[in-house]
Amino acid sequence: MVLIGVICGLLVITALFAGCTQSAPATATPVPTTLPATAPETTTAALVAATPSAAQTTVAPTATPVPNFTPSQSNLVVFTAASLTGASNTIGSSFTKAYPGTTVSFDLDGTQALKTQVENGAYADVFISASNSYTNTLNKEGYFVPNTVQTLTTNYIIVILPPSNPGNIQTLADLAKPGVRIAMEASTVPAGTATLAVLNNLANDTYSQTWKNQTISNVVTYETSEPAVATKVGLGEVDAGFVYQSTATAAPSGTYQSITIPKKDNYLQTYTIGILNGSKNKAAAAWFEQFMISSAGQQILKQFGFTAP
Amino acid sequence: MLEVVISKQLREYTLNLTLRAQPGEITVLMGLNGSGKSTTLNIVAGLLRPDAGTILLNDRCLCETREGIDVPPDCRDIGYVLQNPAVFPHMTVYENVAFGLRARHYPRPYVSEKTSEWMEHLQISDLAQIKAGRLSGGQKQRVALARALATKPELLMLDEPFTALDQESTRGVKDLIRNFVREMNIPCVLVTHRLLDSQEIGDRALVICRGVMEWEGSPGQMPEVCTICQCR
Amino acid sequence: MKQNMAMFLERFRKKNYRPNLTYLIAGVLIAAVTFYLAFPIIALLIRVTPDMFFTTLKDPDVVRALWLSLFTTVITLTIVIVVGTPFAYFHSRYSYPGKVVVDTLIDLPLVLPPAVAGVALLVLYGRAGILGHYFNMFGISIAFTTLAVIMAQIFVASPFYLRQAKSLFEQLDPAYEQTARTLGASSFRILALVTIPMTAGGLISGAVMTFGRALGEFGATIMFAGNLPGVTQTMPLAVYVGMEGDINVGLTISILLVIISFAIMIVVRIIQKMEAARA
Repeated sequence: MVLIGVICGLLVITALFAGCTQSAPATATPVPTTLPATAPETTTAALVAATPSAAQTTVAPTATPVPNFTPSQSNLVVFTAASLTGASNTIGSSFTKAYPGTTVSFDLDGTQALKTQVENGAYADVFISASNSYTNTLNKEGYFVPNTVQTLTTNYIIVILPPSNPGNIQTLADLAKPGVRIAMEASTVPAGTATLAVLNNLANDTYSQTWKNQTISNVVTYETSEPAVATKVGLGEVDAGFVYQSTATAAPSGTYQSITIPKKDNYLQTYTIGILNGSKNKAAAAWFEQFMISSAGQQILKQFGFTAP
Repeated sequence: MLEVVISKQLREYTLNLTLRAQPGEITVLMGLNGSGKSTTLNIVAGLLRPDAGTILLNDRCLCETREGIDVPPDCRDIGYVLQNPAVFPHMTVYENVAFGLRARHYPRPYVSEKTSEWMEHLQISDLAQIKAGRLSGGQKQRVALARALATKPELLMLDEPFTALDQESTRGVKDLIRNFVREMNIPCVLVTHRLLDSQEIGDRALVICRGVMEWEGSPGQMPEVCTICQCR
Repeated sequence: MKQNMAMFLERFRKKNYRPNLTYLIAGVLIAAVTFYLAFPIIALLIRVTPDMFFTTLKDPDVVRALWLSLFTTVITLTIVIVVGTPFAYFHSRYSYPGKVVVDTLIDLPLVLPPAVAGVALLVLYGRAGILGHYFNMFGISIAFTTLAVIMAQIFVASPFYLRQAKSLFEQLDPAYEQTARTLGASSFRILALVTIPMTAGGLISGAVMTFGRALGEFGATIMFAGNLPGVTQTMPLAVYVGMEGDINVGLTISILLVIISFAIMIVVRIIQKMEAARA
């Protein structure tokens, strides 16, 4: 009798699982959007023209006509590279102010982690990536809605030090001093690849291969996201860390000291934004992407230290 | 000879007792549960400390609170079989009986000789290699007895040794105790709550009620009713 | 007609469907639990071919992570047992001022999120930490070293052993130790020959849980010890990094961890069977 029960149980559970997986194929065909794929700078007037479901409310006194939304189609899940953590709150509140009725949830993590999650079926409407190569991979694998991938912003790498500069680092050359402790991102993190490129450039141009090797041997931890490096530096546990310029600029003054890296040796990290095929909110996702590319979004990014593309 | 004068504040009453046990005699301690019998044995053994008191064993002072003398239990040379006979279940019968001898670091041949001797006396030699956890109640009792006596203690104390035994085993154990106590000429204090036991095995009897000695005398002459707490 | 109906119903009642229903529910429950626990493991094993597994096994990152994990976990376990057993013994046998506080502290790492534990350790022992900066003056650095890995593991995993040991000692009938004492045994002899053998089964079980928890520790490790291959990159960290970079590495280490876990469980079962057979 127990055996019959076990078999019944297995059948029930298999049925449950089968039922759950039904939802996946539903988002097969991408919804064709009327999104202008060209100029990153769109005016708010163009925004209105692009949204088919917009209804002009008579009650809107602001310059921006406010479209009407049904709440169910307006919660956006945005997978965002971790380096935008600081900016995310402001972006979220500005967007919801411009588009009342929407909510935005940011899932902030290393781009590599988010990419893996998307590839394994995680749900998101918009994907903001810190790495061109990860974006290209996802695009090739068909995760993006065609023609929605745009350049969002850029970032350079910078070296930050704890405010007290315990390692007495004055120049980039000092990074190779014995006993210096450096934090860096893992090579799977976009900032990590960028840093390695920067180190290579610096070694070839100004300093030597020995400098590069010694600097790398001074690395005590390969963190799994860029903000984690900034945290370790901020706590004073390491003498220096490689992070994005945005992190240094956006931090309250006095949080870090920094050493800039010459532009010719630096690595320009390009951030892209795109709408995911699996999104159930493609219209609202398009609004978000427009917002980010428009002067409103770009202003926020600039405020947080990103460089305009 | 054992001389005990102790007092100790317990939860519900104060234990205030004077006790004498003669060598070669079995002194039975009787009373209801919670009257202080086991506590008394624990104090004599050194596992509990009295508030005030004196314990003398064969002219050796084990405890004198006025002078701060308190011999630790491992040095009192007392054989004590608790209510839970506590044979070590993971050791063989041999290892159990030899435990006390080995703890005192006697040389191996001596340990071996005494252990065999006592297993012989208590008729458990054939159980020597069996793990003590597997034995029956009566067998465990005999192992505990052998273990306690193997170190040739100056005093033997037993707390309710017959409670878990059947009639047959009880008789056997009673005979053994009587024989050894006489042979080794040591005092023996035995706690029991059964009148029959005290009459069969006791040479003297003491009735304790709520920490105070109610009556002392020969077991056969025990009065019917205890005046302090109306027990029995 | 009515009579037939009555007879039919009688037969139904006689068959007594109640126990059958119980068995059915039991079967469903057993199947559900088995499915939930076993299938993810099976999925993992299916995903990695033996070929890929053995090739990736030679990857230097995998080898380093494996050795580091085993090395640190064994040391953690040794320290926890050697220090924790006497501690649990005294804690259970004696009452002392502040015992309640210590009791609560033993349980704390169980509910504290590992990342929080890592932050706390960093803030205390890190180079800029409250105690750490004294160590730093003498040239001793703790954060970002293998020592930090061990310290993090001890912090999060020791409660498993301590609680178990404390509970076992408390439940052990004092008669055994008291009898041993009256027979002339020293405290050490009692602990070694009576107390521990009688609680060995439970202690081993506690040790196993400690080992498992230490082996799988991630959050506190990455926060306090960082992530440096060969020094602080334990297997769980390597899985995490691997899954984002070289998936094969991530999967291979995952399977290694599953194999190790199973091996431990089997060894423990054998030991327990042997104990039971001897007793």
